[in-house]
Amino acid sequence: MMQSSPLNARRVVIWIGRLVLGGIFIYAGFSKLLMPNTHLWPMFVLKFSISMNISSFAQQVESYKMISPEASQVVAHTLPFVEIALGLLVLIGWRLRIWATAITVILVGFLAVVTRAYLLHMDINCGCFGTPEKLTGLTVVRDGVFTALALLMTVFAFIEARQPHPWSVPEKANIGSSRESVS
Amino acid sequence: MTKTVWEDRVNRRRFLAGSFVTGFVGAFLALFAHATPQSPAALPDVDPHKAFGSKNAPVAMEVFSDFQCPACKTLFTTTNRRLMDDYVTSGKVYLIHRDFPLPMHAYSRIAARYARAAAQLGKVEPVEQALFQNQEKWEQNGDVDGTVAAVLSPAEMTKVRALVKGGTLEPLIDKDYVLGQTYSVNQTPTTVFHCKGQTYPYSGLMPYDVLKQFLDQLLSQK
Repeated sequence: MMQSSPLNARRVVIWIGRLVLGGIFIYAGFSKLLMPNTHLWPMFVLKFSISMNISSFAQQVESYKMISPEASQVVAHTLPFVEIALGLLVLIGWRLRIWATAITVILVGFLAVVTRAYLLHMDINCGCFGTPEKLTGLTVVRDGVFTALALLMTVFAFIEARQPHPWSVPEKANIGSSRESVS
Repeated sequence: MTKTVWEDRVNRRRFLAGSFVTGFVGAFLALFAHATPQSPAALPDVDPHKAFGSKNAPVAMEVFSDFQCPACKTLFTTTNRRLMDDYVTSGKVYLIHRDFPLPMHAYSRIAARYARAAAQLGKVEPVEQALFQNQEKWEQNGDVDGTVAAVLSPAEMTKVRALVKGGTLEPLIDKDYVLGQTYSVNQTPTTVFHCKGQTYPYSGLMPYDVLKQFLDQLLSQK
């Protein structure tokens, strides 16, 4: 009979990280594309909604005054899709170490940018999700918590990858040992 | 046996992946499916001094803006002129400027009063242009009067000041604000499109090329 995977603290943290961060990244990407303008039909109205939302997001990126307007457009047109893809990949758990590392790097970047804006007392919207949200100390704390969770998830994923897994033990050895015990 | 264990893991992951994708698509449809065009409504309380183009145009655009809002400035300086030239003067779009002074902007309501007063003298365009182009200056020191005076003659400025002090403009601004709240306006600029009985409120800044595509599609509807 197959053993279940052992439940330890590291695996619990990995699961929590996958669920929480995966879900948040997917929501962040979707909300940037579809909020606050959520007209879905007909198709040209949906396209206009998404264009408007991306345009608003580009404006929020530009308000941080860290990159050029052209670079802000590139970020606005790519980041939502990257967030959705990373969120799905982390939730599924395929090649977890790679995508967990990517999420951690992105969150560290977000934390740095948001902290800088907060320390400079910039009166801007966070741009974290689709709806307008003032950048406050709470935003920095929230991003810090997510970054810490991502870091733990990534480190533990690497540690767990080095541990021998019960499923990797061939069943022949188990059958042999059970025959010995019967005899 | 090892292969069976591995296949079991792959099948479990495929099942999980499929479940998540289905779940999120379902959640997406449930969450956003209600967002359909709103029921048609006649355009109320249109100030003729702040409306441009033909009332019988197939598309009406109500633009809720705040003179102290940077995005509204960008919209005005990059989109408004081209919109006027390409769609309003040709009778395709009926453009209405609505005031929506946000509470966090200390001088936006004062600026709205001056713009309204200038509109009644037929000078809305130069005054709006002056207010938006000099936004960074007057939002620091509150000198809306000086900004407007720079583009009007002394006689016009006297009439504008009288209208601002007269108190008749405040109810007009309040009407626009209340109308914006019925459209759930919570940021500026917000543009409400009306076409063939459908209403589409849109929040945020519109690049002109995107707006052009949308207007062309609206106008091509039968």
